[in-house]
Amino acid sequence: MKLTRRAMIKDGLLVVSAGMIMPAIFSRGVASAQSQALDGSRLAQSANDRTLIVVQMAGGNDGLNTVVPFTDPLYQKLRPTIGLSDTKVIPLDTRLGLHPNLAPLKKLWDAGHMAIVEGVGYPNQSLSHFQAMDIWQTLDLNGNGSQGWLGKLVSGLVDQEGHPFKAIDIGVQTAQALQSISTQVPTISSVKNYRIYPDPADTDGGNARLQALMKLYNSYPGTAPYAALLDTTALSAQDGSRQLLQSDATYRPAVTYPTGPFADGLKVLAEAIVQGLGLRVGYVTLGGFDTHANQQATHDALMLTLGNGLSAFYNDLAAHGKADNVVIMTWSEFGRRVEENGSLGTDHGTAAPLFVLGNPVSKGIYGEPPSLSSLDQNGNLKYTLDFRSVYATVLDRWMGASSKDVLGGSFGTQNFLPQV
Amino acid sequence: MEIDIDMYDDEPTQPRKSIKPQPTEPQIEMGATQEFLPAQPLPNTQFAQGVPTVPLQPTTTPFSPRATVSRRKFMGVSVAGLAAIGGAGAAAAIGGVALAKLMQNGGLGDPSNGPMASNMQIGHLLRRAGFGATPDELTMYRNLGFNGAVDRLINYQQVSDNDMENRLNALNIDLNSPQNQQRWWLLRMSWTQRPLLEKMTLFWHGVLTSSFRKVGGPRAYMRMIIQNQFLRNHAFDTFDNILLGITSDPAMLFYLDLTKSRKTAPNENYARELMELFTLGLGHYTQQDVYEGAAALTGWHVKGLTSQYYPQDHNDLMKTYLGHTGNLDYKDVLNILANHPATPWFIARKLFTFFVYENPSDDDVKPLVDTYVQSGHNMGEVMRTLLLLPQFASTKAYRGRIKSPVEFTVGAYRAMNINGDGAGLPAITTLMGQTLFDPPNVAGWPGDKVSALWLNSGTWMTRLNYIDLLLARGTIARTNSAPLVNLQSIVETHQLNTPEQFVDHFSSFLLDGELASDRRTQLLDYFTSQDTSSRGAPITLGNGTSYPFGRVRGTLYLMMSSPEYQLN
Repeated sequence: MKLTRRAMIKDGLLVVSAGMIMPAIFSRGVASAQSQALDGSRLAQSANDRTLIVVQMAGGNDGLNTVVPFTDPLYQKLRPTIGLSDTKVIPLDTRLGLHPNLAPLKKLWDAGHMAIVEGVGYPNQSLSHFQAMDIWQTLDLNGNGSQGWLGKLVSGLVDQEGHPFKAIDIGVQTAQALQSISTQVPTISSVKNYRIYPDPADTDGGNARLQALMKLYNSYPGTAPYAALLDTTALSAQDGSRQLLQSDATYRPAVTYPTGPFADGLKVLAEAIVQGLGLRVGYVTLGGFDTHANQQATHDALMLTLGNGLSAFYNDLAAHGKADNVVIMTWSEFGRRVEENGSLGTDHGTAAPLFVLGNPVSKGIYGEPPSLSSLDQNGNLKYTLDFRSVYATVLDRWMGASSKDVLGGSFGTQNFLPQV
Repeated sequence: MEIDIDMYDDEPTQPRKSIKPQPTEPQIEMGATQEFLPAQPLPNTQFAQGVPTVPLQPTTTPFSPRATVSRRKFMGVSVAGLAAIGGAGAAAAIGGVALAKLMQNGGLGDPSNGPMASNMQIGHLLRRAGFGATPDELTMYRNLGFNGAVDRLINYQQVSDNDMENRLNALNIDLNSPQNQQRWWLLRMSWTQRPLLEKMTLFWHGVLTSSFRKVGGPRAYMRMIIQNQFLRNHAFDTFDNILLGITSDPAMLFYLDLTKSRKTAPNENYARELMELFTLGLGHYTQQDVYEGAAALTGWHVKGLTSQYYPQDHNDLMKTYLGHTGNLDYKDVLNILANHPATPWFIARKLFTFFVYENPSDDDVKPLVDTYVQSGHNMGEVMRTLLLLPQFASTKAYRGRIKSPVEFTVGAYRAMNINGDGAGLPAITTLMGQTLFDPPNVAGWPGDKVSALWLNSGTWMTRLNYIDLLLARGTIARTNSAPLVNLQSIVETHQLNTPEQFVDHFSSFLLDGELASDRRTQLLDYFTSQDTSSRGAPITLGNGTSYPFGRVRGTLYLMMSSPEYQLN
């Protein structure tokens, strides 16, 4: 975000020689921009119309009450009040069952379009929301990263094909996963707000005023504070708002989405896919999972929102003939403590399951549910699968990207997506 | 033992949102905010001026291809060029910015970091230690001199705010709804004569934060106002008192679950965030300290709109917390934290980042740490030190942060001296990325730390549309049928005789008069350009010349939508 494309390339030539004194952030920026440009060209070669939708479940989703080890006596013992009984869960096999409000996802499971990846985590997991979110999004296990893994993926793509919508973030703030030093990801709260309204006194639809405004941005000196950010933001907004307005005029969802911001956001992403805006990565967040107290009502409601929203999204895509092109994955910064606390809730935990959904997905349970009898010193689960292996799988096997370049290492792949 | 207390149980229908919000805020869909950015074209009756009956069209006009296509092609070439330079590291041929310029780009600031010119200082002070100013306010503070202005801001008790209180009282705002609470506070910030007090309250709200979404349900929403008044009343108190107050604050007790903590089963939530986010920061405590701290903090419970400490529900076992051992209770915990060597650095960094610039060095914040220690943790003294630092009035600080949504929204409302009921304001700040009394999570707003995070394509357009709403649509204030900004009247009051005087007048208090001459020329070009079809009565300047209404209003819109105006 600090050094964006304008900084690099504004009208003319910049000569960077070895002898020049560069502040650290700048040299890092140049090096990174170079590698990104290489990533971008590599990605462009394997350009496809596949889309990855990432659903962030913010606050630390209680994995054990999402994919429930309902036949494990330790589960019922450690969760005497908030545990889900075997009569409530939707069994998937003899060990695991889904939260009852995830019934819509069970249909996807039955149709063969859902994978569950178990025990996902990383070494020395942080119990801090914010450090854990940083790690999942920037891949720096010390939590000091700034560039997001998805930002790295989509940078280099955005400009080459003239589409502002290679990636879309739903909300009012760009997720860290999508932060990139060379790309601004369109961040949309709703289609109707993603436009520049004209002055009713102007009879030209606001054209002259908008031109004058863009000129003010275009001529804002590159030396001035936040020049790159301001300029790229204005350009992206002006391009994108026009495109989205046009696509919105002809988009009709094939299903009735549930009410609420989560489903509203998914609907915007569906529109971008159905209308061919070139979406490669869509990002949407469902918050509220930090259930320290009186967990059940909150978690039940969130599971309902998640299941109904994703189900509507899938059905909309399927009705438009786009379900083969889209893979959805969920994540949360951590699971929760195995033993319930004294407030009918759960404190911060570690490993958790995540979902991968879509027609291209090979149904099944991947990874190994962590043992409830062998916990770490804080009473938390020991992870069995590195989250970067999940990322590597969607990058290599779905996005046609080089996971090694994006992740900065090899972490193996899982079989929830077929080998390319 | 069981204690019978009223906790206003959580409403299951309000899923809490203590970590990261729903993608868009539900309250946008509620009635009072419908008038902002309507999905349907606005009826003509809402227009401020006499407008013919052509329905409003959204902006669909194709824009000059130059700005889009050529630039993009240009990018493609440049990116390829960038890729080609890779290996040898000798010379890179890319875009055209001199290295020195690149260093400053993206808010890195001027490396020289000298003092800013005196004409910029008061405007800067009032934006950072307040929410900007009207021309009259600027004159008043300027006459005090910089130090005198700082004194007036800090010694706020000597300034009456009765006028604001009376105006607020006249609106009869029911504070039991979140939207009304936001509106009430946004109007306070817009109208107060104690701007630093409100700014400091906003700072604390972003640090020692709580959300109405998890405060005990609609019956307990007033807890947010009680917390807000506490932060206001103690904004410049000792940090010890602030910690004591916030720990026993009803909203906080509920928000971070301390009220649910029992001596036999301590809840970790408050104990962890108290250290991670309120006092020490990561790396200064262990999970064991979280356990022990949670046990030590037991005993507090909410009771309606108040709170109470129940000694019989306090865990009396021996605890070892951050190296201190004993039968510790909440007073011990807070005392240990307020005196911990990491605390002043942690708070000083937050203050410096919020009020001065980002990524301060140790040397930058050291004077604040020293004042904290020497003054007995007095935050008023720390703030005085901060405002008088050379760094505060440095070129690096000047326009060194992106305005937050509240700063932008209130700033425009205040500078333009709007006398409305503020009904549309909460939805606007929400769409810009900031809902008061509803931070995205317990860490507050990320933009408070990294202000660039406030700005993206969606929030930028909301900023523009807000200015448009303020100047052109007049629907923000439901009770006020007159236009919010009467340009002809401003022209007459300030005796603006020429287009130059018009631009310079608004630039003087919106932009400190800091507008490069070529950019001033662009504005003048727009002001004086032909538009025979503009709706509304032309604006007549003092020289007797009339200009198209849309061009005059558009010029002001351009100033308030400009890159410069996005910066604080």
